[in-house]
Amino acid sequence: MLKILIPTLMLIPTAWFAPPKWLWPLTLMGSLLIAVTSFSWFKSTSEVGWTTLNSYMATDPLSTPLLALTCWLLPLMILASQHHTHNEPLNRQRTYLTLLISLQFFLILAFSATELIMFYVMFEATLLPTLMIITRWGNQAERLNAGMYFLFYTLASSLPLLVALLILQNTSGTLSLLTLQYMSPMSLTTHADKLWWVGCLLAFLVKMPLYGVHLWLPKAHVEAPIAGSMILAAVLLKLGGFGMMRMMLVLEPLTKEMLYPFIVFALWGIVMAGSICLRQTDLKSLIAYSSVSHMGLVVAGILVQTPWGFAGALILMIAHGLTSSALFCLANTNYERIHSRSILLARGLHMVLPLMATWWFFASMANLALPPLPNLMGELMIITSLIGWSYWTLALTGTGMLITASYSMYMFITTQRGPLPNHLVALDPSHTREHLIMALHLLPLILLILNPQLISGWVN
Amino acid sequence: MADYKEAPLASRPKTLDPNEYFNLSLEYRRAEEERSAIRSNLKLQYQTQLNNPHRKALIEDPALNRWMYARSHTYPHFKTTFKTSLTGLLFGVVPVVVLYYLFKTDRDKKEVDIKAGKYDRRFSLTS
Repeated sequence: MLKILIPTLMLIPTAWFAPPKWLWPLTLMGSLLIAVTSFSWFKSTSEVGWTTLNSYMATDPLSTPLLALTCWLLPLMILASQHHTHNEPLNRQRTYLTLLISLQFFLILAFSATELIMFYVMFEATLLPTLMIITRWGNQAERLNAGMYFLFYTLASSLPLLVALLILQNTSGTLSLLTLQYMSPMSLTTHADKLWWVGCLLAFLVKMPLYGVHLWLPKAHVEAPIAGSMILAAVLLKLGGFGMMRMMLVLEPLTKEMLYPFIVFALWGIVMAGSICLRQTDLKSLIAYSSVSHMGLVVAGILVQTPWGFAGALILMIAHGLTSSALFCLANTNYERIHSRSILLARGLHMVLPLMATWWFFASMANLALPPLPNLMGELMIITSLIGWSYWTLALTGTGMLITASYSMYMFITTQRGPLPNHLVALDPSHTREHLIMALHLLPLILLILNPQLISGWVN
Repeated sequence: MADYKEAPLASRPKTLDPNEYFNLSLEYRRAEEERSAIRSNLKLQYQTQLNNPHRKALIEDPALNRWMYARSHTYPHFKTTFKTSLTGLLFGVVPVVVLYYLFKTDRDKKEVDIKAGKYDRRFSLTS
């Protein structure tokens, strides 16, 4: 664990002491080396499930894929941010890199935490660098509003979580996941216990986001710069899912009765968020609502508490992380050329940038869950476990998949096919950097077709 | 021109409207000329920008900007009318209530069947 943590921490002095010409290559190489080293966590031979165990942190088949995703994303974020920061003064570039690296550090600590309070503290700690990235480096005036919504939605919903965790510590005497997993189910019968159940999960439901409380997500994703959008879509949403999966351990007998409203919102959210996508004019907003839709499916998969539901949720989280981040990078390539996020302004691009059209094709097909990509495998496992829960869910999840396919195709056809606008005259050709980012996003996704056991949790 | 019939879903084009040629008042003609002048001015501005050899940026269309602003800032301009309240109820409240009722009754029926021993889930281990 330390062989990842200490280099990540040391990337911060690297960002501050690197000579100006070597700033971005050095941090990029450092983060790539860390990303490759993080793959060593996948080799887990222990029988108890927890590997690289020390007093505060451990990895297990649930957190390892998410940790690898986090470490993999930092070099991609650094690559993607290179262009839009190159006009800024040097110290501001160093600050930006420091924020990204500290976000990575907090995320590694959050995913590998064994104490629930440490997870909570790191969960809150990730809010600050993200807030700074959104409000300082966003491009429109609405970024302040977006930052406010992001901060206060997540903060207000996680304060009940703090109280709930303290109550749990008082009643069960421990908050360590290593011992909580062997705790016998508590007798949760009173109304206060029901409120405690909601308090435990509310923070994660808002973070996921659940459909009713998703209002912060389109704002934050649209106003954030590219690295902010990438880390938000790929990892921060999954913090919510990961937290839910960990908390389900202790919420045992009450979940069967309490989950109905939340699963209804999650399933209806798939259909509603997907329908809103069909009406979006802003490309990043479309991808943001598509994230809400996919995460609705993940929430439903986690709430039914079956092995397939959990495995499907984890697979979909990883696959969606890579896909959504890839789509945001593609939207950013559009934005860097025409400085507008409108879908209508950059149409017919496959005639002008055919190689980028290939990446658009792959990312859109991944988004609509094309077999044999892991997006489909995760969705199928969740839908199957939901059918086992109740046959009627098929109406919503089926409609949801149909709408997902239609808005992904809509996005692809509008940006790539069709007539090129007459007044587009000076588009940069696709940079090698952009091709590299897209390849590094989609190559793991394609390789995961061949070895999905890595990301399916404990099901083996 | 007397034989022209409108298609079911298309409106009659302006140049085939008989009122365009007969029974025209002076105010209508003047208004039509003003509108035509505005349109020509806009087309002139667009063509100037389009054919400018030193232009590298996109041509800014204020109508598009207004439309995108309107589409993305719907919440501050939301008005509670009968139709919007009905839409909110129909898409926000009714589905939640109906789905809750649907799932609860379905699951309760399943629970009764399981307790009576009539539900076959011999092979349902992991899903």
